[in-house]
Amino acid sequence: MAGFTFSEKQEKEIDRIVAKYPFKKSAMLPLLTLVQRDERVVSPEAMVAISERLDCSPAYVQSVMSFYTMYHTEKVGKYMILFCINISCQLNGCDKLLEYTAQKLDIKVGGTTADDKFTLHREECLADCTNAPMMRINDTFYGELTEQRIDQILDSLS
Amino acid sequence: MTQILFKNIDMKDLTDIEVYEKQGGYQSLKKAFAQKPEEIVAMVKASGLRGRGGAGFPTGLKWSFLAKDVFPRYLCCNADESEPGTCKDRELLLKNPHMLIEGMILCSYACSIETGYIYMRGEFHDLSFIMDKALDEARAKGYLGKNIQGTGLNLDIHTHLGAGAYICGEESALLNSLEGGRGEPRMKPPFPAVEGLYAKPTVINNVETLCVVPYIVNEGAEKYAALGTEKSKGTKLVSVSGNVKRPGNYEIVMGTSTREIIYDLAGGIRDDNNLKAFIPGGSSVPMLPADQVDVAYDYESLAAAGTMLGSGALIVIDDKVDIVETTLRLISFYMHESCGKCVPCREGTRWLHQIVERILQHKGTLEHLTKMEDICDNMSFKTFCPLADACVAPVVSSIKHFRSDYEKYFKNIPTGSV
Amino acid sequence: MSDNEITLTIDGKSVTVPKGTKVVDAAKQVNVDIPVFCYHEKIGPLGCCRMCLVEVEKMPKLMTACTMTVMPDMVVKTTTEKVEKAQNGVLEFTLLNHPLDCPVCDKGGECPLQDNTFKFGAPETRMEFDRHHNAKATPLSPVITIDRERCIACQRCTAYSERIEQSRDLVMLNRGFKNEVGTFNNQSYDTRFSGNVIDICPVGALTNTEFRFKARTWDLSNTETLCANCACNCNITMGTRLNELMRIEARPNDAVDDGWICDKGRWGHSFVKSKNKILTARENSRGNGGRPTSFPAFPHDCSLPEAVSKVAQAFKKIATEHGPQSVGFIGSPYASNEDGYLYQKLFRQGLGSNNIDHKTYQDTPGLPVNHYGVEQIESSNVVLLIASDPTEELPILDLRIKKAVTNCGTRLVSLNDQKIELDKQASLSVRYNVGSETLALDALTYGLAQELGESASAQGVDATGISAETMKTLVETVRSSMKICVVYNPAALSGGAVSAVKRLLAMIAKVPTLECGAIPAAPMTNAVGAMDMGLLPDFYPGGVSIADQEEIQKQWGETAPTEKGLSALEMIARAEAGELKALLVHRSNPVLDFPGGSKVITALKKLDLLVVHDMLETETAELAHIVLPSNGPAYDEGTTTNIGGRVQARKQALTSELKPDWEIISLMLNALGDETSYQRASEVTGEIAQKVPGYQKIGRRSVGKAGCNREPITSIDEQVSTESAQVGAGEGLRLRVASFLFTHDKILDASSKLAHHFQPSTAHLHEEDAKKLGIQDGNAILLSVSNARLEATAKVDNRCQPGGVLVPKVSDEQEVNSLIGLQGGPTWVEVRKV
Repeated sequence: MAGFTFSEKQEKEIDRIVAKYPFKKSAMLPLLTLVQRDERVVSPEAMVAISERLDCSPAYVQSVMSFYTMYHTEKVGKYMILFCINISCQLNGCDKLLEYTAQKLDIKVGGTTADDKFTLHREECLADCTNAPMMRINDTFYGELTEQRIDQILDSLS
Repeated sequence: MTQILFKNIDMKDLTDIEVYEKQGGYQSLKKAFAQKPEEIVAMVKASGLRGRGGAGFPTGLKWSFLAKDVFPRYLCCNADESEPGTCKDRELLLKNPHMLIEGMILCSYACSIETGYIYMRGEFHDLSFIMDKALDEARAKGYLGKNIQGTGLNLDIHTHLGAGAYICGEESALLNSLEGGRGEPRMKPPFPAVEGLYAKPTVINNVETLCVVPYIVNEGAEKYAALGTEKSKGTKLVSVSGNVKRPGNYEIVMGTSTREIIYDLAGGIRDDNNLKAFIPGGSSVPMLPADQVDVAYDYESLAAAGTMLGSGALIVIDDKVDIVETTLRLISFYMHESCGKCVPCREGTRWLHQIVERILQHKGTLEHLTKMEDICDNMSFKTFCPLADACVAPVVSSIKHFRSDYEKYFKNIPTGSV
Repeated sequence: MSDNEITLTIDGKSVTVPKGTKVVDAAKQVNVDIPVFCYHEKIGPLGCCRMCLVEVEKMPKLMTACTMTVMPDMVVKTTTEKVEKAQNGVLEFTLLNHPLDCPVCDKGGECPLQDNTFKFGAPETRMEFDRHHNAKATPLSPVITIDRERCIACQRCTAYSERIEQSRDLVMLNRGFKNEVGTFNNQSYDTRFSGNVIDICPVGALTNTEFRFKARTWDLSNTETLCANCACNCNITMGTRLNELMRIEARPNDAVDDGWICDKGRWGHSFVKSKNKILTARENSRGNGGRPTSFPAFPHDCSLPEAVSKVAQAFKKIATEHGPQSVGFIGSPYASNEDGYLYQKLFRQGLGSNNIDHKTYQDTPGLPVNHYGVEQIESSNVVLLIASDPTEELPILDLRIKKAVTNCGTRLVSLNDQKIELDKQASLSVRYNVGSETLALDALTYGLAQELGESASAQGVDATGISAETMKTLVETVRSSMKICVVYNPAALSGGAVSAVKRLLAMIAKVPTLECGAIPAAPMTNAVGAMDMGLLPDFYPGGVSIADQEEIQKQWGETAPTEKGLSALEMIARAEAGELKALLVHRSNPVLDFPGGSKVITALKKLDLLVVHDMLETETAELAHIVLPSNGPAYDEGTTTNIGGRVQARKQALTSELKPDWEIISLMLNALGDETSYQRASEVTGEIAQKVPGYQKIGRRSVGKAGCNREPITSIDEQVSTESAQVGAGEGLRLRVASFLFTHDKILDASSKLAHHFQPSTAHLHEEDAKKLGIQDGNAILLSVSNARLEATAKVDNRCQPGGVLVPKVSDEQEVNSLIGLQGGPTWVEVRKV
């Protein structure tokens, strides 16, 4: 297994993160998030690198990583679409809109488009219920969705 | 209606500390620092403020539980907002981050805390940038740092993002997650006030709870306690969502009738349908049928009605909705979010899901309802943390109040199937 | 009832227990059975399985008995309707997706899930859906099979990996229903203690691959015996069926193993059926030019008693002709007390010789301080390791030290010439140059002496590689601890360093506020017992010195020999010189294990009579005139004394036609005129109890199933060693042979289930030396001394200080001892790149 090394930029960020806590193991989630955002995947090599930084076993890193839904072991697309399907959104017709989105992108829910641009997942409540139905694409929340709005949003993403 | 938290919420650039200060922001610090820390705790006790995250535990009392003479201590602000239907903290973090910072400084002064963390759910990534900027501004003004305003208080606050787990909203799971581990809840006792973050005394409070503290310090406990009802003081942010015309976050005085919230503030049922059911406090509390809509929105009245105020998320369901499908969606949520540590929750949530799925396939029988009630009884109060009880709430209440929705499926058993 | 005790009521029965006890343990005291899955006494409460829910008066909900600490006047009820419904419910949930594999599951018959369901569960399930499927029977490691479908996610194994092993290699992955036990990236779960998860798993999810489908647990005969691999002497249960060893399990003994065994103990037993076992007495047709041997040859079909008797007579003949100094005995630290005792009796009483030894390193019996038992580590403030590497030498000690450091506030200090695994747990790691241990120890003694105002020979830190400041910290750490346990490995100390250890102990004992004890941690199974039984040229059994003639004659008779005998290495030298004519070697392999290499072979070939009494074919047996069979562990009975001075019994688990060693030796004694006849091993133990100081209380009853301590031996005043305490000088790097648990040798041979642990030959260098020699990490290098050579791969990892080269003994093939001179002294080797 070839190693994973953090870039200089990442190292600077890691130093800043670790300084926030009296015990560096608390930097586990921030470091995993850093890797997931930059690489779009958390590989075993990255887990080893994190375990060395935080003085713990790679198995422990994998145990933590596999607990949370925001970390992925397979590379995700450039735009990660998380479509809320919880109660408030369901009451506002999200199921049909999710189907629409999947059809539009020509993928199954949980899949990635052939050009690696979009990954589509169902997601639990994203705390934007008053704007239901809604979806989150990378860091942006889009609410009050309709088919037209979905078209508008997806077409605008390069 | 009296607005405390939402007083200036839509003011332009309120996230800017200069604008915030012009509205009287951070004035409470001077007032608090002129008093002893114990006096602040007593003040919060007297105000009757109860935790706004869902449990409703008296805040001042929680602060007073911190183990004496054990240092350092920590303050964790629970901004993990993941209870379905709830989006009130989001609005506070997005539009008025300084109010939270001010509240955290007051709490830290009262409880001799030197480090605070704001545990935000992972999806609030952008909000954490807003908060980080606000924290930098607060540091620059000397509201955070060493020897704040000459009181000897050292305090710094940091943001910390989660990574997608509802269970991390449970306070002990939050601590485990903040320490860099899986979000599995901890055994209690010991309680966080004695052994919390890094095994030190810790206060964990919801965003909304901490945001109220500056008002209490500025205006006094009596003024806050004058609002609301006997056991539910002050105001509450209610996230109204579902089948309403004007979904949104509304600040109401405790004791307002639910009818007023749904029909006056939120504009009533959409598409001129009729109200069928409502879940008053987020998906983890029992649902109530339409005929209970006059119940007063406060802790004690909702408890008397057989439900809970919870996080303050009012989910409104109209008569075009199939309660069985709604219930399945909620069970599915708890099944995904179960941490898996204890047997009844891990197995029970999935079993309930399988049964309701089968009912929706028209393969269910009346016995399934009895079975589900029994499974719920075997899960209730028998698990490591209350997530299983949260799953049980919609199941039991939907069977109790909307049995006919279920029975619809039994009458339509096609011939030839099991 | 004292302040530290609480009285509560469980099911109407009153029980008083220490403060802090959990309700589930309190219930056991009054025979109330509260079912559990995830709770394990040694791992601690987890609260995962919810099986132990009980009703407590004044509490609104049912509480888990395993997480609840007893409170005064608590009233607990475990048999109410509410509790029974809850138990039914929990079991229904647990079994919901559990495959009904019982007919083909190894756990059947000893399965807590079966037992609890039978006692506390409902007869039927209401589950109507297809059960969830997961991976069946996959290898978690070459020796452990995991069936994830059976797993009930009780987290016992992952908690074990976190809290006991402290390696966190076995973890829970995923969340919720997808929870499963796993390792990083599906790697093998290859720790030294992985096998314990098999014992603690409450279902058939983690099973012993070797035992898979071999036998039903109720068909096994279980023998309560001891592991024979190292000096911990962990208690084990050997499960046999139809006279075949099926499996080994841990047998908890808090005073020794705390409920765990290492993987070598669990799976390192293939030697029991090795094809290299010596099964009959034989005469070797040695290719030695047909040199006449001076004893009557015996025919092929000679019975064992006849053969043995002839051997004894042959020795007698030589001893009579050439004097008692011409015969010698090299015994074994792996032999039981009974075997060792009888052999020294044979040579002293029967042949009048004190040429008796069992080791090549220097050591003397007795300690100037208390001889601590292993459990004392947990109550010590400081544990000081000297030249000891428990992880490789005494694995269970590694776990106990970790437990003490984590749970009991004990501080670990390592004083070693190498980096060791336990450095991670150590609050202070002091490294001395290879070969400078005497100087380092004397410097520590001197430092303490100065603090106490006592006198000691002045010794600074020069040549030790330790800085003055570090030594000062070390002195202060030792002085200020209130209770210190010194764990030292005499087998790893060079020259007379063991005297320096005893001088140090004597000085520590002088610190007024300090309780001090020592654990002599030589790794060989019965090293302590061998010393106690007098397998030494200058000590009789019980630590009675040769110089104490009065005592000897009182105990052993007027004719007991009192002249100092030859040590093992001296015997080899005298054999070379032709002065030693006959040698009996018991369970020892000088050709491979003694320093000297080919010189040992030459020496042994010169003997008139070489008799080897051993379990497996060895290089020494190849040279022997006569070879006698020794049945070895699993077949033998007898007692061994562990590092804590605890005497415990090894019991026979398998039968064979071979006579036990004690019987063979007693036949030899009979042939020389001794009329004692022993009917069983315990009668030899009885004689030991009568004759050996310190063993008076040792008997079948007192030893029982858990063993008992013998009285410790106090040492005689340690004189300053006359040996030069200089590090010395030589060409090249100073050699240090280090221990490795999974050495590929005759015990763990190629057929061993643990073969995946075998390592290639490596030599560890300090980067300074590597640079000088132009060697880089990974290079193939050669270590040589005159004719001896060792090939190895270089590891430049600063495992030892500059000036030293560390070679772990990873296989017999290395012949690592051939690099060391016959005198056994310091060795310098030339190291160069190939």
